[in-house]
Amino acid sequence: MNEIVMEAKHVYKTYKIKGDKKGEMKYVEAAKDVSLQIRKGDIKLIFGPSGSGKSTILRCMSMLDFPDKGEIYLGDLCLTKPGVDLNKARAKIGFVFQHIYLFRHLTALGNVELALRQVLKLPKEEAKKRALAALEEVKVTECVNKYPSQMSGGQAQRVGIARAIARNPDIILLDEPTSALDPELTGEVIDTLRDLAKEGTTMLIVSHEMPFAKEVAEEMIFYDEGRIIETGPPSLFFNAPNTDRAKQFMTRIINRTTRE
Amino acid sequence: MDVGQQLIYLLEGVPLTLSISLISFLVGIAVGLPLAFIRVYEKEVGFVVDAYEKVFRGIPEIVLMLMIFFGLGPYFPIPFNSAFFVACFVLGLRSGANQSQIYRGAIHGVGDEQMIAGQSVGFSKWRAIWHIMVPQVFTYSTPGLGSEYALLIKDSAYVYVIGGLAEVMTRAIQIKSSPPYDVVTPFILAALIYVALTFPIAFWLDRWGTKRKRKLGL
Amino acid sequence: MFEFLSDPYTWTLIIEGLTLTVSITLFGVLLGLGIGTLLSIGDIYGGKTIKALIAVYVEFFRGSPLFVQLFIAVYAVPAIINIQIDHAVLAFLVFGLNSGGYQKGYMKGAIETIFNDQMDAGLSTGMSRAQTLRHVILPQAYRIVIPSWTNEFCSLTKSTSALAFVGLFDLTAAGIALRFSTFQILPVWIVIGIIYLIWITSFSKIMDIVYEKKRIPGIELNMQ
Repeated sequence: MNEIVMEAKHVYKTYKIKGDKKGEMKYVEAAKDVSLQIRKGDIKLIFGPSGSGKSTILRCMSMLDFPDKGEIYLGDLCLTKPGVDLNKARAKIGFVFQHIYLFRHLTALGNVELALRQVLKLPKEEAKKRALAALEEVKVTECVNKYPSQMSGGQAQRVGIARAIARNPDIILLDEPTSALDPELTGEVIDTLRDLAKEGTTMLIVSHEMPFAKEVAEEMIFYDEGRIIETGPPSLFFNAPNTDRAKQFMTRIINRTTRE
Repeated sequence: MDVGQQLIYLLEGVPLTLSISLISFLVGIAVGLPLAFIRVYEKEVGFVVDAYEKVFRGIPEIVLMLMIFFGLGPYFPIPFNSAFFVACFVLGLRSGANQSQIYRGAIHGVGDEQMIAGQSVGFSKWRAIWHIMVPQVFTYSTPGLGSEYALLIKDSAYVYVIGGLAEVMTRAIQIKSSPPYDVVTPFILAALIYVALTFPIAFWLDRWGTKRKRKLGL
Repeated sequence: MFEFLSDPYTWTLIIEGLTLTVSITLFGVLLGLGIGTLLSIGDIYGGKTIKALIAVYVEFFRGSPLFVQLFIAVYAVPAIINIQIDHAVLAFLVFGLNSGGYQKGYMKGAIETIFNDQMDAGLSTGMSRAQTLRHVILPQAYRIVIPSWTNEFCSLTKSTSALAFVGLFDLTAAGIALRFSTFQILPVWIVIGIIYLIWITSFSKIMDIVYEKKRIPGIELNMQ
C-alpha cells in the first residue's frame, strides 16, 4: 500500500457561536472523535449536510484551526505537538478555499509567485517560470496579469488552485471549491480538478458536487454532526448505502439532481 | 500657584470652552443640514456647497479668526470686536462644512427609498425631507457628530490667538506667563481637562446612536 | 491695499514660512503613518497591557488639542528632561505622535476589513504570520487608507498655523510679520488664507492622482 500522507487521529473540535437569544452562546461540536487517513494518490471526498463540520475537519488538517483534542500527522510529523514549525508543514499542504481568498493586491501571476518566493525562497526568474507553468496547468493563462476583481469566479478559483499546486505539495485540501461559484462557472473548476486527479494528485475534497464525486472520487466519506458515519466507494453511496442517515441524504440529493 | 490652585483656575475656564463649542455646534447644524440636502437634492447649485466646503477645509481656523477679528473688527465693532462671537462664527461655519459632509453620507446611508415613500404619501420634496429624512439622518450621523463635537471642544483653544476670552487654553498660558513661570504643569493639566471633556461625549453619543440605529433598523 | 505683493521682501517671508509649514506637515504625516502602523499591529497582537497603553496614547492625542500638545512639546518637555532641543524638531515630533494616534484608527479599520480571509490565505501557502502581514495585509491596508490620509493631511496643515505661537516661523508667522510691516490687516490675511487654500487644494489633487495611479481595482475604502 502507498504511504500515508496525512492522518487525523481522534480529533475533537467545538465552536462557540452566538445563540438565537441575546447573550446566549451555542456550542457546535464540529468534530467528535474523527479519524481518517489519506494515502499517496488517494482522492477522497467528504460530503454531508451543511453545518455538519466538514470544513472544520479540513481546516484542522492544515492547522488553520487547532483541534481541541487528537492528533494530526503530515507523514511522520505530528502537527499538533507544541513547538512544531507549522509554516514549514503548511508549505507542503495545498489549500483551496470556498471563498477563494486570492491576494487582492496582486495579479494572478503575483498570487502564485508570492509563496514560491517567500516560502520556497526561489529566485525571481524560477518563481516566475513555475508560476506560469501552474497557471497554464489550470488553463487560466489569459488572466496572468489580471487582478482578482477583474476575473470571473471560475477563473479566480482556478488561480487559487494554481496557487495551491505551485509548491508541489504532498496533498491538496479543497474546501467546497465550487460552492461559492455561479452554476455555469463550476464546470471549469471541476474540469481542472478532474485533470489533477488524472495526474495522480493526492486530494481531500469537501464538496457536495455529486456528479463530480461519482466520476473522480475513489472513496467517499459521509460526515454528519461531527462524525464520520459511513465510508466507501461512490458505487456504494449511489446504489445502496448501509446506514439510514446516508440513505436519507443520498435520496434527497439524487432527487434534487435528477430534477435539475 | 500650586497644582491644586492651577487646576481650579483652569477648570473655571471650562464653561467658556463648552459654550463656544456648543454654540458653534448649533451653528454647524443650522448651516450643514441645509447644505447637505441642497447638495444632494438640488444638484445644479451643488458647486456652491462644494466651494464652501473647500474654503473651510483649506484655510486654518486661526487665520480666519485673525482675519475677521483684527481685519473686520475695527470697521464693524458689532459684532466682530467680540472674541466670543468671532470664535463661534469661524468655528460654526467650519463645523457647518464638516457636518455637511457627515449628513451627506447619512442621506445616502438612509437611502432614497425613504424620500420616494414620503413623496408617495403626498409630501412635497422639502416637507418629505423635513419630516422623514431629517430625523433618520440625525440618528445615522451620531458617530460622526460625536467626533465633530469633540473637535469643536478642542478647537475652542484657538480663541487664544485673538485674546480676551479666559477659556482653558488662555488660562493655561496665563499661568505660564505669571510667576513662577511654570511651563510644565498648566499645559499637562489643560490637556487632561480637554481629554476629560471629549471622552465622555464621543462615548455616550456613540452608545445612544447605536441603540437608536438598531431600533430604526438602520 | 495689496501693493505689498509686488515687494520681493514679502515673498521672501512667505516662502520661508511656507517651507516650514510644508516640511512639518509632510514629515509629521509620514512619522504618523509609521507610528500608526505599529500601534495598529500592536493593538491586534498585543496583550492586555499593550492594548491598554495604546488606548491611553490614542485617547490622549486624540482627546486634547494639538495646540496644547504643541505647547507641552516645546515648553514643558525641554524643562522636564533638562535638555534644549530645536523647537522645530519638537514640533515635528509632536505632530507625528498626534497624527499617529489618528492613523492608528485608519490602519486598524483597514486591516480588520481584510484580516481574517487574507491571513488564512497567506498561512495556507506556508507563509508565517509575519510574512503574511508584510506581503499581503499591509500592502492592501495602505491602499485602503489613502483617502483617509488626504483628510489627515489637510487637518494637520491647518493645525500648523499654531506653530507661529510657539515661536516658529511658519506661514501664519509670515502673515503676522507682514501685517506689522505693511500695516495692512485684512489684505494680508486674505493673501495668506489663499496661499493655504492653494497649497491644500493642490496637494489633495496630487493625492487623488496618486491614488488613481496606485489604485488596484478591487481594493477600496468601502470593500466588503
